[in-house]
Amino acid sequence: MPTVPFTMFQKVWDRHVVAKAPEGEELLFVDRSFIIEGNAFLGFDQLRIAGRKVRKPLQNIAITDHYLPTLNRAAGMGGFTNPEIRRVVEMQNENAAEFGLEHIDITDPRQGIAHVIAAELGLTQPGLLITCNDSHTATNGALGALAMPVGASNQLSHVMATQTLWQKRPKVMRITIDGVLPPGTTSKDAILAVIARVGIGGGVGYAIEFAGSTVRAMSMDARLTVCNMSVEAGARIGMITPDDTTYSYMCGRPYAPKGAEWDKAMAFWRSLPTDDGARFDREVHIDVSNLAPVVSWGTNPEDSLPITASVPHPTDYADPEQRRRVERALRYMKLTPGMHLTDITIDRVFIGSCTNGRLEDLRAAANVLKGRRAVVPAMISPGSTAIKQQAEAEGLDRIFIAAGFEWRHSSCSMCNGSNGDVVAPGERSASTTNRNFEGRQGPDAMTHIMSPPMAAAAAVTGKLTDVRTL
Amino acid sequence: MEPFTVLNAIAAPLDIPKIDTGMIMPGRYSRKYRRPGHPDYAEGFLHDLRFDADNNPRADFVLNVPEYQEAKILVAAADFGCGSSRETAAYAVLDYGLRALIGPSFGDIFNGNCLQNGILVVVLPQEAVSELWRQLREQPGARIIIDLEKQMVTAPRGDTYAFDIEPTRKKRLLLGLDDVGVTMEYMSKIEVFEERHRKVLSWLAPII
Repeated sequence: MPTVPFTMFQKVWDRHVVAKAPEGEELLFVDRSFIIEGNAFLGFDQLRIAGRKVRKPLQNIAITDHYLPTLNRAAGMGGFTNPEIRRVVEMQNENAAEFGLEHIDITDPRQGIAHVIAAELGLTQPGLLITCNDSHTATNGALGALAMPVGASNQLSHVMATQTLWQKRPKVMRITIDGVLPPGTTSKDAILAVIARVGIGGGVGYAIEFAGSTVRAMSMDARLTVCNMSVEAGARIGMITPDDTTYSYMCGRPYAPKGAEWDKAMAFWRSLPTDDGARFDREVHIDVSNLAPVVSWGTNPEDSLPITASVPHPTDYADPEQRRRVERALRYMKLTPGMHLTDITIDRVFIGSCTNGRLEDLRAAANVLKGRRAVVPAMISPGSTAIKQQAEAEGLDRIFIAAGFEWRHSSCSMCNGSNGDVVAPGERSASTTNRNFEGRQGPDAMTHIMSPPMAAAAAVTGKLTDVRTL
Repeated sequence: MEPFTVLNAIAAPLDIPKIDTGMIMPGRYSRKYRRPGHPDYAEGFLHDLRFDADNNPRADFVLNVPEYQEAKILVAAADFGCGSSRETAAYAVLDYGLRALIGPSFGDIFNGNCLQNGILVVVLPQEAVSELWRQLREQPGARIIIDLEKQMVTAPRGDTYAFDIEPTRKKRLLLGLDDVGVTMEYMSKIEVFEERHRKVLSWLAPII
């Protein structure tokens, strides 16, 4: 009997609809909510003011990541140098305790960046609806979860008070990536190429499904990088169909189902992929067979080009609004139109973040740095404490230290400088992070985002460098 | 949440595209505690655009022009509020004294956070926004009228622009309803849902 074909997004969304408001928004059930410390105090205050509790405490897990120092972690809460930053973490400790929530905190051996450890611990699973008060929540979609960001105040307190969220159903866009990623390129280059194509506003109002042979061939670490940057294409949701890569990744993780429940879960997970003939509101195709490593030159992630290119001229842009914006971006970035990207000198390198702080990323960077020396200050903050330990077991830390890198503890760190790890005013960084907005890594800091091997190559030469030529 | 019906207020033109939430509310302000009900985040709002490195107001920045001191509407450029999900950016808008934003496009998360805090977000085509900028620059301190019920913006010269808004958000803004209050009326439906959900996702049943 013919049935209506559904997208994976529709299947997971529909599975979580509790009710529909007469005006159109839908009330969605939240399977798991991750609560990070950044501004969660606003949401907890709202609960307190209204005299409400966390309705389903076991479905809400507090995680501290943004504000943790990367040095002196053995000192625990005594290791902070800035009292204001320490206070944010204290408030999270106090709120998690008061509301009875599990808290993966500064001293927890499972500590790490929320969007790294959620998958690592098996908290994220295919077909779950997940929320977190962070814009990179879509990262979790790499396992086939429907993961979306919420505001840290009203929406977070709504999730905590009701375990649900009001949402307008987004449209669905499929981004199909095909071709074998050439040597020297990674999933970061692929997603930067996608963002350059779609634009930072192109995915607004959409959930993205990433598909295609390139995605199918990617490891889970690589897929997490792709979904992570969905929001840099404007979309709050990014998903990848679960497959054998997903199941073997999931198997045995602490929070993954076990035994008979695993079999039941597998049956559910196998029902999730998009049906043949399902309709998408927008389709984008990109072939990466000839992709060169990509770097950003401007002040938002869509300002990205192959490393072989030159800084654009404002006159390259037909739209007057874009032209004005590019002029501003070039002024901020202190770049001259027409100069080769490989002539841009850098002052500092950062490797880490929820985008590129996973084991595979560290291995790729180490592969470039082996037997070489950084000529500029450089540091690494692994995505989780577990990744840090695994990297040390593999001897990666010794390669980084021998190359002159600082080997730090796990935190969101220099991605946005919440914890005080900032790029100084007027300094230019090569960074494996997700955003290059004005002031993102610190006031007047200039950021170029790229893959871990490309950041490693930049550290070695002190310039933006094509890692393939090193 | 304060109901939003008709706003007749001074509007300021801010024509810098792609101002992300980190520029709207820089991290070093975003981490400060905001006392419930106090406009503590006003200082952080667009701080590095409003002030120079020595914390002196940038005289050429639109919001520092005397005529715009009482502005309650900001007419922004494309992709205003893209980037980080920090809800402090919406609070900063509110604490600074703004009640409505008009622009050609907005970051999706920021847009949602504004509506949650009683700030109306109006999307108009770039041509309409450019026309509003032109009129506001010609006559600094001019007023714009936004009628939410009619979904209509009236420019200083009287030309009007219709806008779309998601009907659920429109109703809740007009009545000043907060989502939790509405949702509590759905609690029995949530409980029925959970019963069913526990059976389908049985491996999660212990936590639901």
